[in-house]
Amino acid sequence: MRLPLKTRLYYTVGRHLPFLKIRPPDIDRRAVLTLRPGRNSVLSWEKQESGETILTVPMKPQGGRMGRAMAKWFRIPENIEKRVELDEVGGYVWELCDGSHTVEAIVQKTGRHYKMNRREAEVSVTMFLQMLHERHFIAFYKKVSKRA
Amino acid sequence: MTTRLDMEKQAEKEAAGAPFGERAVIGWQGIRCVLPPGWNVSGFSLDRDSGYLRVDSPGSATMAVQIRWTNAAAANPGSQSLYALLMQRLGRRRQPAPPVQKPDLKMNLEKVLKDTAKQARKSKAGFESAVKPEKTEGENGERTAINFSWSGGGRGQGKIWYCQTCHRVVVAQVLGLAKDQAAIAAVASQLFATLHDHAGEGYDLWALYDLQVEIPQDFRLEAQDLRAGYLNLTFARGGEKIVVDRWGLASMALKKFTVQEWFVRHARIAVKRLAAGEEITPRGHRMAHAAGRFSLLERLRALRETRGSLRRFPTQYEGGAWECPESNKIYMVQVLHSARTVGLWQEVMRRCVCH
Repeated sequence: MRLPLKTRLYYTVGRHLPFLKIRPPDIDRRAVLTLRPGRNSVLSWEKQESGETILTVPMKPQGGRMGRAMAKWFRIPENIEKRVELDEVGGYVWELCDGSHTVEAIVQKTGRHYKMNRREAEVSVTMFLQMLHERHFIAFYKKVSKRA
Repeated sequence: MTTRLDMEKQAEKEAAGAPFGERAVIGWQGIRCVLPPGWNVSGFSLDRDSGYLRVDSPGSATMAVQIRWTNAAAANPGSQSLYALLMQRLGRRRQPAPPVQKPDLKMNLEKVLKDTAKQARKSKAGFESAVKPEKTEGENGERTAINFSWSGGGRGQGKIWYCQTCHRVVVAQVLGLAKDQAAIAAVASQLFATLHDHAGEGYDLWALYDLQVEIPQDFRLEAQDLRAGYLNLTFARGGEKIVVDRWGLASMALKKFTVQEWFVRHARIAVKRLAAGEEITPRGHRMAHAAGRFSLLERLRALRETRGSLRRFPTQYEGGAWECPESNKIYMVQVLHSARTVGLWQEVMRRCVCH
């Protein structure tokens, strides 16, 4: 989820002027475990026989109108794709990022599947999900309870 | 072959009330206990004389076990004159160590409760505590203990005791939310039934994150590296070292390497020129093994590491690595020892539990 521009500016000021003591609120670990990661629909992915998973990420032409003109001038193809290779464990976690599993469920399943200790599984999975989120490969959803 | 660890596990199994493999064994700096499955170490100190250990419950981690200890003998060093220090160093201490005075447990407990009350006041909650009378515990009555409980901004059930054998004052508490009263009581009873504060048969249990190994108690923890997927504990006694490594996801790591290659890559010294072979671990796994004397270069390196000290100077190496498919992990135990120390690697290996 992208923060509003006003909030982003507010935190940027806080980061550069630490004496103002403006910082984003601490994230509750328990709340994070209830989130549901879902894959970015723009991405396509394919599982290899060797166990690895290849993600194909479409790249936007950089530099706006000028950049597009330059790309056309130098005959750089417009539809560039980036390929990202995930290892076996990464691929397993990626498959579980379907919006129906919570982070907690992914941690438990990964730990059980690879015989990992609970803490090890939690640390590795949350770090990996964070990395995927930073690259906009996944987004986190929160299940909203329906009110009568 | 049955080790003390195995026998103890069987005994503790009954105390813990859970079948083997369905509980968490924790061991750190001579402190050891058994907790429900999934509980993991989340904080620790490296100091043996005075330290703490925190173990969190799995999932939302609303409950935790906190163990703090101080060594009454170290806290009251007696006559630490220059002469006494020199004599200690030279190993010619003429006078026996002064008797350790029994610490005032009530005073220690008051301090603990005072700190807890302070925290409760910060969270604007009322504080109540209950302290039971002092009693003597242990097989030989070596423990003097006081049970206590408190509530306010949370809830806790604990015990403070002094052990005459190891001279440690230990404060162990189970902490949780105010609503967790029954769960706290259940964990506390399991904790206090299995909590030990000193080594048994001369071996300290080091157990965390599925790694369990017993190390001679005169070895001190020198270095540790606890990462997700990789654990390393290095112990030292003079120049001698015991290095225990554990890697997770063995099935993936061994796709590109054999266990032998893995061992050669990660061994502390160049093992290629040593007498290599294959052995079977006490749990029936095939293990890559190597043993032999240090080369001149390795001796010089050891001399640099020991900063010129020749006390238990290591001249020999013995190590082994194996894959445990049951736990999907790779284990490696290495011993760098002096010529006088014989059979140390076998002893540590026998006491290393992989599954």
